Amino acid sequence: MFSLMKAAVGGLTGVCRVNGHQQGPLHCHLKVLVAGLQTYEIPPDYSDVVLPAKPKLKFVNKVPNLKKPKREPKKLRDIQGPTRGADSFTQGQYGIVALGGGYLHWGHIEMMRLTINRKMDARTMFARWCISGPYKPITRKGLGQRMGGGKGAIDHYVTPVRYGRLIVEVGGKVELEEVKHILTEVAKKLPFPAQVVSRESLAALKKKHADMEQNNQNPWTFKQIVQGNMLGIRRVVSPFDVHHCGRFSGKFHFPGRV
Amino acid sequence: MMAATLCGKLLPKQGWLPVTQSVRHGSKAVTRHRKPIHILKQKLLAVTKYVPPTPVVPKGAYPFERQEVKEESGFVLLLKRELKKLFQDYKMVAVAQNCNSNAEDMRILKHRLHRHGIAVKFFPNQVMCSFLSDSVYSNMAPLFIGPTVLFVSKEPKVKEMLTSLRSSPQMTLLGACIDNTLLSAQGVVSYSKLPSVSVVQGELVSGLTMMTAHTASMLLRHPAHLSALLQQYVKQQSSEEAPKAEEAT
Repeated sequence: MFSLMKAAVGGLTGVCRVNGHQQGPLHCHLKVLVAGLQTYEIPPDYSDVVLPAKPKLKFVNKVPNLKKPKREPKKLRDIQGPTRGADSFTQGQYGIVALGGGYLHWGHIEMMRLTINRKMDARTMFARWCISGPYKPITRKGLGQRMGGGKGAIDHYVTPVRYGRLIVEVGGKVELEEVKHILTEVAKKLPFPAQVVSRESLAALKKKHADMEQNNQNPWTFKQIVQGNMLGIRRVVSPFDVHHCGRFSGKFHFPGRV
Repeated sequence: MMAATLCGKLLPKQGWLPVTQSVRHGSKAVTRHRKPIHILKQKLLAVTKYVPPTPVVPKGAYPFERQEVKEESGFVLLLKRELKKLFQDYKMVAVAQNCNSNAEDMRILKHRLHRHGIAVKFFPNQVMCSFLSDSVYSNMAPLFIGPTVLFVSKEPKVKEMLTSLRSSPQMTLLGACIDNTLLSAQGVVSYSKLPSVSVVQGELVSGLTMMTAHTASMLLRHPAHLSALLQQYVKQQSSEEAPKAEEAT
């Protein structure tokens, strides 16, 4: 009876315990043999990353505090074409880039702020706005009003966003995979097509366009034909298209066009 | 509230608005929908499409020849150093395949082999193959497929190893490298049947010194015996010479 118990205990505990000769960390009786060898990547070093004092996104006002808000013309050209600035990372590592033009109103901004603030971990990451609060007044006439009778009253304010602009930046001691699901959730709800990018992927996007221009096998290019006004094509091509080589139409961007 | 459009004109009556107002406007450039494009512009866009460069060799025609050179991690380097030491120190390196042996069987086998001074080593096949391809023992590489175990010992004790392996049915001997010579399983068996070096040397020496030993033993015998032998030898010689002389003539 005793011997049986002893054998059972010995058997159970001796699975990976070595007794007698050949002791050491590399010696185990039962060795799980594999054909290959699992090697792990060294995790990235975040010792030089400094988190700001207030890591979460700040509250953005619905209305800019102006003494006399003036009504502005529509000027839809603030949606048209690529961004003039704010298309590169400053502090963060990952962000959302706009792939089309559109207006962001306070509802969108609140959605972004609440989602990101709720889902992010304030101890390891921080987020930063790359757009200003709504400043462009949008007017609306009352319900059932006929045309005419002057411009409507200011209804709400919006922020115009062009193609290639960064909306929100996230950084900290995190990798893209930890942040991607938060940012994609936000990016899907924006009124224009948007994409989650990191510093490297944004550079890759820009490089891709440059490479396309470089290795285009088509001997005819939009730029060449339009600048030389071949076939009198300037009659149907607008000055905006001449400048942007047919890559934009209204607020839309065509990635396939070179 | 009145717009500034009609302020310049004098209104005939208070609160009078003209029935029709002609307002000139063009269509907007920025729309929510894709604007219809003029046919000539459509043709221009079709002509100036992006044409990607065609690869000289179509994709998938040839396999990717250049192997991706991966940096070997510290653990792999450590294992390779161990292997190098192993091949330098141990004379006999035998490879066996074990299929489903449990810890108990392994323990018993290890104990048995340890009694004869044979060690049991485990190495991952990938590391083993990469090490062997660089070293002299590259022909051993095909042995390392599947779950393999290495039996190493300083003295080539093949017979004891075979007896222990015969007792454990899970182990199958694949091959061995004994004294820098590669042997297959049958080769190992025949190697075990060989007599030891001392025995072989003894046989060789005895074979060489057989004649001298024989003469020495003969000389030690009684001289009368020797003289009788000599007389017999002379008789034989003379009897041989006589028929030879008869044949000649």
